[in-house]
Amino acid sequence: MRKRPINKFWIVLLGIATSVAVLLSVMSYLSTTAAVLPNLAGIIASPFRSASASISETVDNWYGYLTRYDELKKENEELKKRIAQMEADNRQALEDREENARLRALADLREQRRELSFESARIVVQDASNWSSMLTINKGTMHEIEVGDCVVNEQGSLIGVVTKAGLNWSTVRTILDSESSIGALVFRSGASAVAQGDFSLMSDGRLTLTYLGTNPDLVSGDLVMTSGLRDYFPSQLVIGYVEEVRPGDDGMSQIAVVRPDVDVQSLVQVFVVTDFDIVD
Amino acid sequence: MPKSYVAFKWSVYALATLLLFALQSVVLNHVRALGVTPFIYPMLPALVAMYEGQEKGSIFALVLGIVCDLLFYGPFEGFFAIAFVILALLSAAVAKNLRSTGFLGGVFIAALALLLTGLMRVAVQALTGGPYIEIVAWTAAVEAAVSLPAVAAALPVYRAIHRKCAVDY
Repeated sequence: MRKRPINKFWIVLLGIATSVAVLLSVMSYLSTTAAVLPNLAGIIASPFRSASASISETVDNWYGYLTRYDELKKENEELKKRIAQMEADNRQALEDREENARLRALADLREQRRELSFESARIVVQDASNWSSMLTINKGTMHEIEVGDCVVNEQGSLIGVVTKAGLNWSTVRTILDSESSIGALVFRSGASAVAQGDFSLMSDGRLTLTYLGTNPDLVSGDLVMTSGLRDYFPSQLVIGYVEEVRPGDDGMSQIAVVRPDVDVQSLVQVFVVTDFDIVD
Repeated sequence: MPKSYVAFKWSVYALATLLLFALQSVVLNHVRALGVTPFIYPMLPALVAMYEGQEKGSIFALVLGIVCDLLFYGPFEGFFAIAFVILALLSAAVAKNLRSTGFLGGVFIAALALLLTGLMRVAVQALTGGPYIEIVAWTAAVEAAVSLPAVAAALPVYRAIHRKCAVDY
């Protein structure tokens, strides 16, 4: 009888592939940081990722210089106006802060404290896949970054959360990713909700605000921030702004579409909140 | 064929694959067509398997899949290892029945690999009870369509390696 070695080969190879998948899953499940193999792969890939990021950035800069000069000039003018407005607001805020401190002292309240420790990092991989929204940064456990740390931009707006931390690299799940879920607060009304990534909105750079109830007090433009409940994340990090309110999939509850404050695609530098101490 | 020559040939394949990885991360990751980004990795093991046959092609696919699993984000850990091996085995089997493994044959194999990867993603989404199956299926189809033109970069590279390294000893 004729042997059929190919069939045996197929089975053996698929068996190996399945074993690899199981091994990677188990390693990932058991480890709080990146497992040994992904960690090693990340370390080896780090220089290549950095080089690739530098090339991309250079190309983007050249392209921007050649094609976006007028746009950048206009943006510069607008930013100058915003700076002037913010300086005026800042002066007012300083006066308010002094007044607040006096009133707190009079009422014998605890002094408000907001101390956040940051670790600056560079994005080396923008996961541009159509299935998730992840970033890889060039800092890891050797820089005291841990799984669960928040990642913000230079203005303190939330970008995402560290999901894997290797020795000199970490992956960040952005707030747009469909598996992202963060406790949120509507600044105007104080209503609490959950900011969740949504696959159907991810490509448009939007996320949803869920668990709002049947008749939520929300209007377009409402500011959405982290709630800081249970001390998982710092409070008052800006998530985004409500764009529209619409019925949820169940037809009973309402959800809000939120436009994030950060443009995830254009990020270069981020800041990881490695520690925080907030007293409101 | 001397072992050193075999090692050289697969090193050249690895180097070419590294260059195609660079093409994805430096160029294609910044391209958006019809709302999606091209994703060329699934066509790479399929094209190599088309030229090198089932055994060598699928071992290459397994290694490539493991590398992708370690570096990128799939629907689950080990997705690329399993998917790429299946793609390589099927591509090699289909290529055997093709009249030619020229440009059109390569385009056909690449299209098949991209569509099958999309189908596997839809299957994973359906099996895990994930929402938006229609949107996932549509995204997978569009991703396959916008990724296919990249075969014009991958195919000549692998074809040249296959031809140049096909020396009889």
